[in-house]
Amino acid sequence: MYLKDGCSMDDLAQRQQVRSRSGWGRRFVLHAILIFFAFVAIVPLYWALASSFMTLGETINRRWFPDVSKMVWVNPQWTTADGTTYTVPVPIHANYFEAWERGRFERYFLNSVIITFLTIVGMLLTSIPAAYAFAKIKFLGRDVLFSILLITLMVPESITLIPNFRIIRGDVLPLPLINTSAPYFELGGVSWVNKLPALTVPFIASAFSIFLLRQFFTTIPDELWEAARMDGAGHLRFLIQIATPIARPAITTVSLLTFIGSWNAFLWPLVVTTEERWRPIMVGLDAFMQDAGPELHLLMAGSMFAIVPILVVYFFTQKTFTEGVATSGLKG
Amino acid sequence: MPKLKINQVVLQNNITGYLFVSPALVIIFIFGLFPIGNAVWMSLYRWRVRQGAFVGIKNYADVVGDWWGALSFCVGLTVLMLAYYVWNNAFNRLSERRWVAQLASAVVLIGTAFGLIAFGWSRMMQVGDVDYLHGLIYTVYYAFGTVPIQLALGLLLSYILYQNLFAKEWYRMIYFVPYITPVVASAVVFRQVFSSRESSIANQVVGLFGIEPLSWIAESESLINILFNLNLEGFWAGPSLAMVSVILFNIWTYTGYYTVVFLAGLGSIPGDLYEAAKVDGANDWHLFRRITLPLLSPVTFYLSVLGFIGTFKSFDSIYVMRDRFAKGTTDTASIVIFDSFRTDNNWSYAAAQAIILLLIILALTAVQRNVFERRVFYG
Repeated sequence: MYLKDGCSMDDLAQRQQVRSRSGWGRRFVLHAILIFFAFVAIVPLYWALASSFMTLGETINRRWFPDVSKMVWVNPQWTTADGTTYTVPVPIHANYFEAWERGRFERYFLNSVIITFLTIVGMLLTSIPAAYAFAKIKFLGRDVLFSILLITLMVPESITLIPNFRIIRGDVLPLPLINTSAPYFELGGVSWVNKLPALTVPFIASAFSIFLLRQFFTTIPDELWEAARMDGAGHLRFLIQIATPIARPAITTVSLLTFIGSWNAFLWPLVVTTEERWRPIMVGLDAFMQDAGPELHLLMAGSMFAIVPILVVYFFTQKTFTEGVATSGLKG
Repeated sequence: MPKLKINQVVLQNNITGYLFVSPALVIIFIFGLFPIGNAVWMSLYRWRVRQGAFVGIKNYADVVGDWWGALSFCVGLTVLMLAYYVWNNAFNRLSERRWVAQLASAVVLIGTAFGLIAFGWSRMMQVGDVDYLHGLIYTVYYAFGTVPIQLALGLLLSYILYQNLFAKEWYRMIYFVPYITPVVASAVVFRQVFSSRESSIANQVVGLFGIEPLSWIAESESLINILFNLNLEGFWAGPSLAMVSVILFNIWTYTGYYTVVFLAGLGSIPGDLYEAAKVDGANDWHLFRRITLPLLSPVTFYLSVLGFIGTFKSFDSIYVMRDRFAKGTTDTASIVIFDSFRTDNNWSYAAAQAIILLLIILALTAVQRNVFERRVFYG
């Protein structure tokens, strides 16, 4: 609601004037302030990146730049069950290789990718039709249901955490078992603790995504739906063929927000993963922090595994990212 | 026949509508709505992993300790708000005698309020849950140490950026990076930045000013005591150096976010206003004070409400940054709740603590709405 990236011609003229009016000295001071804060924002991350390329000795000796001559590059190899050996064609830094192996980031990273992917797909499958229905279909109790949805948005995680943990343990209602080795469903009072559904099912519907998408769907004119109905289309067909393509910007935003939320998730996975099997990357990083102890160069390499995917997505989708995140509120 | 058709459409709409919303609603009702009631229900029982006997409000009583103390504390806060109103009104009056009388009564009210708060708090601390009550104090330090500074820095940076300087977009992009960095990962990095080792960045920085290496994240002594060599205790001793490190980390994380939101707010202030004011001979400070600040007040209000709610709920960063040598001086209320849940396995007690925290957050938001939203200018 606060974002207005484009500015009118008046605005532009106004700003031009401001610029011409401010002298060299003034601009120099302003830039100095900006650069100082940019420096503060970047230095910790730069330091983490630099340390991840150092030897243990270099990190202890307060170095700010890794010594290139001391770097060790390796081509990681792995052997599959049938004995074939694969070699990664691009050499990677030995620290990254060691952190990857020792911290079991291979598993955590893959887990997080799977969890994030399933969460986004599930969220889209449930939220798009729900948001559409709340925006465009008149059904009994629609507004009441929608306001209940909004209430759930305001409740902090610390309240819902314990009851949700009971649900995941199967204490409240019998949970279907999703067998991960052979995907079939089975009923019974089993626990989902340490299983994939515990990390995905609670998040495959998001009140927040529904809220954002609904805002967008309400802007689609009713005439469009009337025209489609004249041509014999039902709501489902209208949604799939017309409304969803129109809503693509909003869908990108909610997918991005879900990606961030899922990749960064910490408290809930910390509670429901006591073993490694489905532990996601943030919980894995926390565990690796205890494990690596003073071996700073490895720890920093490990943090990079968690940071880099988000940064890559950020640099590619900067505009959507900034606007989407800025309008969605703070996380803590 | 047409009537039947309308009924058919209505029926069809109802069926389609419910089919569309039901998958999402089932999940949200189970994992979003049911837990709210369930948490309240659980908090009334003895519940260590398994459900025990019904104990009524005993869990709440264990947290609060002394109900009369809690009452005195709450009354004290209300009196403080009253004092605020009286104080504010005093400056609106023209008659001098009433002005003095009101100011004097405001001072008396403030004194009474602090007396009641201090008395209530000490009663609660004697028999209540000391960890949780300390946690609340640390939460207050955390919130008041971060949000005002973030608001000020965000305002400053966005105002400078709005001057349309060279490379504006680049600055904005860089400022946003700390915010989008996963908080667990950046907390891992900042644990090292603020580590007690002599080579840590924080110690290198204070070393530039000739200060001896400090223990930062592992220091339980309060910052004020360290700086001025004092021996204060209790609330007025202020946050420990470990807590200050966590606060600095939070400021680092969110300042860019505040900047971006403020910048968007600045963009929606019409340029004609500045133009007109300049014609009338206003200088830069007038423009800022009389146009920018009032017109930005909705954004400021929105950010401060979100900021306070966010810091009161904050968990991830503090959990990763807590150090056992800090002796629990960084453990805010949500960390204490987590400990009751995971370490002590006292589920119903943790639920009661969480509900009390929620009530405090709600009260805080209500106060912010009543006291500060009156000063917000919506145009």
